[in-house]
Amino acid sequence: MKVLEFEVRSGGSIRIELEKCESCETKACVKMCNTQGMGQILELKDGVPALKYSLEEVKRGACTEDLGCELECELHGNKALVITLPLPELDEYLEGLSEQPTYLREA
Amino acid sequence: MARLPEYQGKALFNRKGIPVPEGRFVQSADEAMNVVHELGFPVAIKAQVLSGRRGEAGGVLFAEDRDSLSQAVAELLGKRIQGSPVEGLLLEERAEVQRELYMAVTADPSTRQPIAIFSPKGGVDIEETAETEPAAIFTTPIDILRGFYYYDAMDLLRQGGDLESRQMLTLANLFTRLYQVYREYDCKLAEINPLALVVQGAMALDARVDIDDDALARQTTLDIDFAEEAGERAATLLEIAAATIDEKDHRGTVHFVQTDPDASYAKTTGKIPVGLDAVGAGTGLTIMDELVPLGYYPIDFCDSSGNPVGSKFYRITKVIMAQPHIEGYLFVSCVSSQQLDNAARGIIKAFKELYPRSGGRPNIPCVVVFRGGWDDVAVELFREHGISDGRWIKVLGRDTTEKETAEIFGALYREWKKETGGL
Ligand code: SF4
Repeated sequence: MKVLEFEVRSGGSIRIELEKCESCETKACVKMCNTQGMGQILELKDGVPALKYSLEEVKRGACTEDLGCELECELHGNKALVITLPLPELDEYLEGLSEQPTYLREA
Repeated sequence: MARLPEYQGKALFNRKGIPVPEGRFVQSADEAMNVVHELGFPVAIKAQVLSGRRGEAGGVLFAEDRDSLSQAVAELLGKRIQGSPVEGLLLEERAEVQRELYMAVTADPSTRQPIAIFSPKGGVDIEETAETEPAAIFTTPIDILRGFYYYDAMDLLRQGGDLESRQMLTLANLFTRLYQVYREYDCKLAEINPLALVVQGAMALDARVDIDDDALARQTTLDIDFAEEAGERAATLLEIAAATIDEKDHRGTVHFVQTDPDASYAKTTGKIPVGLDAVGAGTGLTIMDELVPLGYYPIDFCDSSGNPVGSKFYRITKVIMAQPHIEGYLFVSCVSSQQLDNAARGIIKAFKELYPRSGGRPNIPCVVVFRGGWDDVAVELFREHGISDGRWIKVLGRDTTEKETAEIFGALYREWKKETGGL
C-alpha cells in the first residue's frame, strides 16, 4: 500500500493512504492546506498529495497542525487521512480512574 | 510555579553549599527506624506537604526515642494537612538553635528584578512580620546582569542590626549561595525560614523553593513534573498530562488547572460541576462569574493564548472532558485575534473521537461560543460536521454575551436533566 506518513511538531503523525487518493475528485486536503490552513505543506504530485518540504522541516513546525486536512478529507474526500496525536499522560490518568468520564456513559 | 517539597529544596541548598541539618526522606515506619540508626536522637519529623503553616497544623513533631518516633510517624503518615495527604516525611537531626532569622531571594514584579530580603525575625510568616513589624524587614534589589556579591549581602545584613561580625560573614556567604540557587534553578522564590544561627555557624532549617514553571523544560536535573500553578498542593495527574501539551510545542499555550479536582467543593455547595475552556483568562473569570450564581461551578480553569495550533485544542478538549464529574462543558472565547477555526477543528476532532457513535454530538450539555477572528468559519465548521444538530450542544457566535452564554447553558442543562435524568 502506498502511504505518505510524516511526523508533526507537537508529537504525533499524519498518515495518508495514497491509493484512496487516486480516485478522490476533490483533493480537499491539498486545497485546505493551501488556503485556510496556514501550513501550505501539501501539493499534488502524480495526482496524489505530496510534501513540499522535507520530513525534517515538516516535523520542525512547517505543518501548522490546524487539522483541516483530516476534517476536509473526511467530509469531501475518501477518508484517507488520519492524524494521530497521542497524549500518553492522559491515557495513564484515564487508566487510573475509578469512575468513567461522562463521554463513555450512556444517557 | 512548581513548589518543591522541603526535602528537595534542601537538596538544592546542599548542592550550593548551604548547610542543612542531616536528614532523609522516608515513607514508612521501617524506613524511619533504619534512618534513625544513622542520625541518632533527638530527631525532627516533618510532614512533606506543600502547604504553608505546616507547623501550626501539627505537621512537625519531635522524637527522643524509638517509641516516640514510631508514634510520630504513625500520626503523620496519612494525615491531611490543609487538604493534602501526607505521603512522606523528612526525618532530620534536631539542631541546637541559638537564634532564628529570615532570608530570601524572590522576584519583584514591580521592579522586574530579583530582590534579596533579610529579617532578624525568623521562624514566623514573613507576611505577618510585614504587617506587624515592617521595620524588621530589609531588602535590596539585585541587578541580574551584575549579580549579587558578598559585599551586597553585607550591606543588607548590616541594616538588620545586632549581628556579630563573624555571624555576618557566615550569613553573607550563605546569602550569595541562596542567590545562586535562585538563578541557577530558575526560581521565583528561594526562601530560608527559619535560618538558624547554631554553634557551628548557620543552617537552613526549612526550605521553600518555587521554580518558574515556564523554565521547567530546561531544569531537567530537578526531576519534577511540569504543571501549571496549582497553589499550595501538588499538581494532579490530569494537570501534569495537560502541561505536556505545551512542553514540545511553543506555538500558543493552553493553561489548565483543576479548581476543584474531585468536585467536592461544587457538591458540598450544591453546585453542578462543569468543564470550562476559555480563550482569554478574563473571559474565563467573567463566564465563571455568570455561571456560579446560576448554580454551575467550573471545576477546571483553562485558558489559551498566543493563537495555539489546532492540535493543542484537540488535546486540551480531551483533557477537560476526561474529568469524570463534569455534567456539562463550555468553550467561550473573548473577542479574540486568535484563529478560532483552529479551535473549532480541535474541538470537533476531539468530540468525534469521544462520541464516535453520534458523529461527535455530545451526551452532556455543551455550549461553544466563538467571538473573534474566523468566528464565522468556526461556527460553520460545527454545522458542516453535523455537530450543531446535536440535541445537547449550542454553537453560538459573536453576538452572544457571557451572561447569555450562562443562561443558555442553564436552560440546556435543565432540559437535559429533565429528559435524561443525568448520567
Ligand atoms: S482529500 Fe483525502 S482522499 Fe482526497 S487527496 Fe486528500 S487525503 Fe486523499
